[in-house]
Amino acid sequence: MVPDMQYAMQQSQQALSTALQQVSTGLRVNQPSDDPAATANMVASLAASASVDQYTKNVSSVLPQMQTADSAISSIVTSLSTAVTLGTSGANGTNSAADNAALAGQLQSVLSSVISQANTAYQGSYVFGGTASSTPPFVAASETYTSAEGSTAPPLTATLPLTAGSVTTISDASTGKTFTFTVTAGETISNLSAAVAGAAAAGTLSAGTTATINATGQLQIGTNSGTSGVVVSSNDPALGAMTATPGTSVANAYAYVGNSGVNTVQVGDSMNVGTNLPGGQMLTSGPNVIASLNTLIKALQGGTTAQIGAATTAISAGLNYVGQQRVPLDNTMSQLSSQESYLGQETLTLTTQQTSLVGINLAVAATNLSQAELSNSAVLAAAAKVLPQTLLDYLK
Amino acid sequence: MSLNTSLSIAVQALDAATGALQATNNNIANANTPGYSRQVVILQEAAPTHDGNLSQGNGVVLEGYQSVRDELVQSRIQQETQAQSGANAQLASMQQIQPAFTTSTQDIGTQMSALFASLSSLSTNPGSAASRQGVITTGQNLAAAFNSVSSTLTTQQTNLNSQVTQDVGQINQLTSQIAALNPQLAQLKATGQDGGTLQDQQNQLVLNLSALTSVSVTKTSDGGITLSTGNGTPMVVGSESLALQTSTGANGMTQVLDSNGANVTASLNSGDLGGTIQTRDQTIPGLLNQLDTLANQFGTAFNAAQKTGFDQNGKAGQNFFTLPATVAGSAATISMAISNPALIAASSDGTSGSNGNLANLSAVQTTALAAGQTPGSAYASLVFQVGSLTSNANAESTATSASLLQLNDQLSSVSGVSIDQESTNLITYQQAYEAAARVVTTIQAMFQITMSMGTAAAE
Repeated sequence: MVPDMQYAMQQSQQALSTALQQVSTGLRVNQPSDDPAATANMVASLAASASVDQYTKNVSSVLPQMQTADSAISSIVTSLSTAVTLGTSGANGTNSAADNAALAGQLQSVLSSVISQANTAYQGSYVFGGTASSTPPFVAASETYTSAEGSTAPPLTATLPLTAGSVTTISDASTGKTFTFTVTAGETISNLSAAVAGAAAAGTLSAGTTATINATGQLQIGTNSGTSGVVVSSNDPALGAMTATPGTSVANAYAYVGNSGVNTVQVGDSMNVGTNLPGGQMLTSGPNVIASLNTLIKALQGGTTAQIGAATTAISAGLNYVGQQRVPLDNTMSQLSSQESYLGQETLTLTTQQTSLVGINLAVAATNLSQAELSNSAVLAAAAKVLPQTLLDYLK
Repeated sequence: MSLNTSLSIAVQALDAATGALQATNNNIANANTPGYSRQVVILQEAAPTHDGNLSQGNGVVLEGYQSVRDELVQSRIQQETQAQSGANAQLASMQQIQPAFTTSTQDIGTQMSALFASLSSLSTNPGSAASRQGVITTGQNLAAAFNSVSSTLTTQQTNLNSQVTQDVGQINQLTSQIAALNPQLAQLKATGQDGGTLQDQQNQLVLNLSALTSVSVTKTSDGGITLSTGNGTPMVVGSESLALQTSTGANGMTQVLDSNGANVTASLNSGDLGGTIQTRDQTIPGLLNQLDTLANQFGTAFNAAQKTGFDQNGKAGQNFFTLPATVAGSAATISMAISNPALIAASSDGTSGSNGNLANLSAVQTTALAAGQTPGSAYASLVFQVGSLTSNANAESTATSASLLQLNDQLSSVSGVSIDQESTNLITYQQAYEAAARVVTTIQAMFQITMSMGTAAAE
């Protein structure tokens, strides 16, 4: 009798403590052994929750970045419209040279405003630089760039071997394109010169662009003309850093030194969005708006009405193109907004799923608890009644 | 028949009643003694006296005492005790291991999600030093989570290992006590007496032994028992106990040897020792192996993804995690190979602003590892196993206690002391004593009458 009672008390006390734990935690499963399958599903569900949380955060951090880019584009569009207006008024054929010079002055400030917008940074990273976002993507161009090596003995020679794998980049302000020379083993400066000549012939670089060794034995890369400029960089230790040759800067000429890389960010299990719009694609590699602005300034400073008109038309075309480029960005932004609300719903779904996996309805838990209490007191009452009874009670 | 004969019958009756009271007294005294079997008094009619055609009864003889037993139920209890102790040993270990796999802020699953969340966060701003540091920190946390779970498992294994030595010590003590009782029981049997208290003691020792290991009991013809382990290794033969020995095996774990030095570790499969050995040698190594495999394959996949990209300085990515050369021990020693946030290979084109390679790192979360499951699923199935091992051990422990309870009820209805029954006996024997005493008084009176026959007093 006693062991049975003890067992019954133990069982009902265990049931009571389980019921109490369920009420206090609100969980049916508090440890894996309570329901191994539900716990395993819970691991997956929690991982999904963590992903959804992170997607939501990603949307929140990507949106302002894209909004920054969008408002910069908006300013660029406004500036370009102003440029078209100025160009149109310059092309009416009745302006004096002084009038046009004044317009050219205004256009210069329009151009610097466009460049400043195109070099917009968000949290230290340049939004229009492609993935080369740590430095400003639009840089003032010079006629020539000179290598650091060769300025002291020994001078560079055409047969000097270059470092395999190193990269020399020439960004041309006029063509709006970039030529990249990657050294393969055994190549020398003469290979680089030949490649630059080839690029100039192909139109990637302005006609006449060369890479030659100058009188002091330094490598000099440039257009060698007063009208177009380049920006050159190299990571080849054989050449050393390339810097603009002093006094050769070309007024109003800017080259794009960013790249065409697009970063994608995951904002859903199968949804990735491109978060940046490379500036080269928008402003130089299609219709070269920057170069057109430069052309218009020059035309206003002393060109013919026809030249002014042609440059204005080119800017007009560029304006349309920038507008088109902006569309996918705007689409992505509205996609992100709707994704944000979808993710909110997804969080709710997952929470509901988790509650049904390991949670317990409070009403059920409370009922269980009162049942456990009832059965525990019944067991105790029964024990109190039965255990003390022996024949001895009746023999007194 | 003479008055003297009558008196001696009455005295025998008094003796019998006293003897029976003695048995009742002993039963009541031992009502709560574990392993005690209720004793009954054996009374027998004395041989009658024949006088011509007349056959006269000669009263009662107290033959002795006998313990009431049910050998079958007793052996079922021994078997069930072995199963219960085995299950309890496993349950106790699993309950220690289980918290390491319970969802918390620092379990492996949560830390794994945190690592991937930090990578995703970095993808929104690959140049951010804070986000990069976040990846390093979550990577460290994940490695620490692997280390901690692995350490929980090995610590438990070490504890179980010392339990083996303790269990073997207790087993040897019990077998020597059991063996010492064998000759005493044989002596009683030889003189035709019941084993009684000695038998109870031996049964209780065998039961205690059953809680430690699987044991098989054979009754010998001389009243003693022979004991052997489940697989037939003898432990007690006659008055001799054959002690088990321990030695340290190649894997550093204590091995159990029989008295001849043969390794019997693997054959011990129930009782506390069996459950302990099974958890130590099978359950925990199984879990550890899966954990090591997960840590190793996850780390390898992550390192491979890291190597497809470029760090913030444009250099090719290097290992993210440091892993040992073998799978074994991976979870225990996995650590971060890099601590400089700039070395995270987020870039796919060498520029510091690119996040292209983060997609490759994040893909580790959704790509099946060499073992065939994604890291999350592999961990989930590990959690399932831990939960299910614990829950099974718990179910077995509960089932065996219910069954033991029933068996004990059954045994106690046969061998147990019922206070009610003993109280009834007490009254019965008291009355018998009173009646016999009355006979003595009566006979005494009759003697006096006889003595005073023919004297003045008689008139």
